[in-house]
Amino acid sequence: MSAKPQPGKDNFTRNLVIGVVVGVVLIMLVPTIISKQTKLAAKIPASVSAERGYGIVFNEELTGVPVLDIYEDFQCPSCARFEGTQGQYLDSIIEDKKATVVFHTLSFLGTESVLAANAAACSADEGKFLALHKMLYQTQPQENSGAWTNEALVAAGGSVGIKSKAYKDCVTNGTYADWVGNVQASAAKSDVNSTPTVFINGKELDRNSYYDAAAFTAAVEQG
Amino acid sequence: MREFKLWFGLAARLTLGGVLLVAGFLKYDEVDKSQMAVRAYEMLPVSLANFIGIVLPFAEIGMGLLLILGAVTRITAALSALLMVVFVIGISQAWARGLSIDCGCFGGGGQVEPGTANYITPLLRDTGLLALGIYLFRYPQSKFSLDKSSHQNLEKGI
Repeated sequence: MSAKPQPGKDNFTRNLVIGVVVGVVLIMLVPTIISKQTKLAAKIPASVSAERGYGIVFNEELTGVPVLDIYEDFQCPSCARFEGTQGQYLDSIIEDKKATVVFHTLSFLGTESVLAANAAACSADEGKFLALHKMLYQTQPQENSGAWTNEALVAAGGSVGIKSKAYKDCVTNGTYADWVGNVQASAAKSDVNSTPTVFINGKELDRNSYYDAAAFTAAVEQG
Repeated sequence: MREFKLWFGLAARLTLGGVLLVAGFLKYDEVDKSQMAVRAYEMLPVSLANFIGIVLPFAEIGMGLLLILGAVTRITAALSALLMVVFVIGISQAWARGLSIDCGCFGGGGQVEPGTANYITPLLRDTGLLALGIYLFRYPQSKFSLDKSSHQNLEKGI
């Protein structure tokens, strides 16, 4: 009993440790919370509508046609499969003005998704979104393997005919990075828990029809 | 026996704390996925689920560190046990309702292809961790702990 521990010293060390741990966690947490807020000052690419969850919109002006909201991540393998099955059909309904189509380019799979979504936004400014979109899915690399650098994305643009300096600068500077965050934040608010996710006229489409061309076409035509 | 309990306490602290720390560390810089994982349980309003999705990884890191260091063991153990109860309820209700989701325990999460969801492994793991949490709440004394009370309680024979 004589070797009573020194309470003052022990307490000090323990309280210091508690303070440091709690402090560090809070210092990490607060910026994360702030970074996930919608940034109203974000620079927005062409044909994006904040009201439509910051998605890239085709045929915004049409009325009385189905509205498709497509949530996808450029790195998601199922999204590549979806694009492979339905891509041509989507292009055709956009071309023929049979539907309003909103692409929500999410970025939850990591940094390369952010870079790809930024590049896609840059291509929208050039009126080449659909072409680059298709190209990125056709050449989709392994997730976060380091293949999608800004240089690679500039080259991917070049391969679908986007040669402008504006595109190159836009990709290299990450001009639309904040917008990419806004798209993700908006999808979180819309309770999108998987990619691809498709809404037709605001109603989530049954997952079974995503990779079935006939069922998907029928669902879109029914509206 | 007392000596054994102190060593067991240390093992419990390191196991529970280690799992929490790893779980938090794998998620803290992927909070978009973490938010998605919490939403996919369909238990909470979307805005609250998104908030929890951000806070949870950081809370896990904090609790994990405190357990490993043995600081405020009793309170941290109680919070961890409570967290495990919430996880067990969340996973069980997802299973019972037939949701197809990934538990998102160590990153990942969200909906998965129907039929591929695995609920048994996370349930067993979380139940085991819950038991450790309850044990540490009841017997917070352990080896190499920063808690002063360890020594004091030891002297009192608790």
